Amino acid sequence: MKDAKAYIETGILELYVLGDISHDEKLEVEAMAEQHPTVKAELREIERSIELFAAEHAMEPNEDLRDRILNGLLTNFADDNTFAPSHRSVAEEAKVVTMTPPQNNFYKYAFAACLALLIASTVVLYNLYNRLEETNTRMLALSAQSQQYSNTVSMKEEQLKVFRDTSYRVFNLQGQGKTPDAAMSVAWSPNHKKVIIDLDGLNLPANDAEHQYQLWAIVDGKPVDLGVFDAEADPKEFMKVMKSVDKPQAFAVTLEKRGGVPQPTMANLTVIRAI
Amino acid sequence: MSKKRKISLSEEELVQALRNREKIAAEALYDMYSASLYGVIFRIVNETSLAEDILQETFVKIWQSFSGYSPEKGRLFTWMVNIARNLSIDKVRSKDFRNQNKNQDIENTVNLIDEQNSTVYKPELLGVKDLVKTLRPEQRSILELVYFKGYTHVEVAEELGIPLGTVKTRLRMAIQELRKHFN
Repeated sequence: MKDAKAYIETGILELYVLGDISHDEKLEVEAMAEQHPTVKAELREIERSIELFAAEHAMEPNEDLRDRILNGLLTNFADDNTFAPSHRSVAEEAKVVTMTPPQNNFYKYAFAACLALLIASTVVLYNLYNRLEETNTRMLALSAQSQQYSNTVSMKEEQLKVFRDTSYRVFNLQGQGKTPDAAMSVAWSPNHKKVIIDLDGLNLPANDAEHQYQLWAIVDGKPVDLGVFDAEADPKEFMKVMKSVDKPQAFAVTLEKRGGVPQPTMANLTVIRAI
Repeated sequence: MSKKRKISLSEEELVQALRNREKIAAEALYDMYSASLYGVIFRIVNETSLAEDILQETFVKIWQSFSGYSPEKGRLFTWMVNIARNLSIDKVRSKDFRNQNKNQDIENTVNLIDEQNSTVYKPELLGVKDLVKTLRPEQRSILELVYFKGYTHVEVAEELGIPLGTVKTRLRMAIQELRKHFN
């Protein structure tokens, strides 16, 4: 058996206290301490010095750490079946901060909500787009219709102007030769020298694609071309302004080649009216 | 923040309470030893947040493996500080920590400031200077290497280029000086 004093002098007890020895050496030191009270006393002294040394170098950790660490211990503690209630009166209950479970699900739900919102928005947008398209189509139709109405109205106004204008004189042309039932009205204003024919009230046999009616004025015994027109006129047109003429003695209409001719073909005289 | 009332028990009472796993034991354990343990841990790892994590790990380990402690073999603090030192040394020697340390100059500076602001040094710190003066430089360097750098005596011998026996004797002398100082 080793001599206690010499054993102490080796410095192994210090290493034991510092935890810096092998397992075998550790067992040896413990055995020695068991047998020799001086070794044991020396060990206690070394331990006490190291403890005081540590106390002198102590650093207060952050205050928050106390709760964090104690909560950590006491949470495990609560799970522990060997938990025994405290027999001592605790001057101050340890502050137990309730730990909220980590909100891992939050982002999952947020993502789902965003996705749902996106889908809903897309549906709404699609519907809105369709309705907008429909509205646009309807608006186009309406504006075309309103254009038509305004055309009609302006035409009617034009017509009314003719009726109101007292300078206009209206002549009813009578059917001639092959077309005794033919009839049409020509309005002429000596002031404006304007000639207007009434297409709406026109009653002439239909002309084909190669032919057109041509209006003539007889001035000083000679026919003067006043322009051509069709019996089946555009339904939108109620009347047509023809070429101007000064002091006509008569109005006549002949059926001519489409586009008109310089001299009337008298055989095709349809209607006439002398002034 | 109101100053918390600290709980203090005798070592025997504390050991008994820890065995019974009483709530008060955890509180007393923390109040009595956190500063001493933190001082050791901080000096080894030299970084506030890491030191705090290790302090927490230390307490968890003390709490969970308390049945492994026997008062006949040594003081409670000796057992606890060795847990703290081992955890700290493991961390410092881990690959992660060393890699992390290579590019951590700025963070270290921040920690230093943090440390100055938030860590309260004990007034006895003045005493430490006296204490350090009472030690010879070679004793002091060995004590610091072993206690605050986590060197084994074998590593100290290599570091200082002195025989193992000399390391042991110097360490013993240093601790004897401490004993004289404390008495």
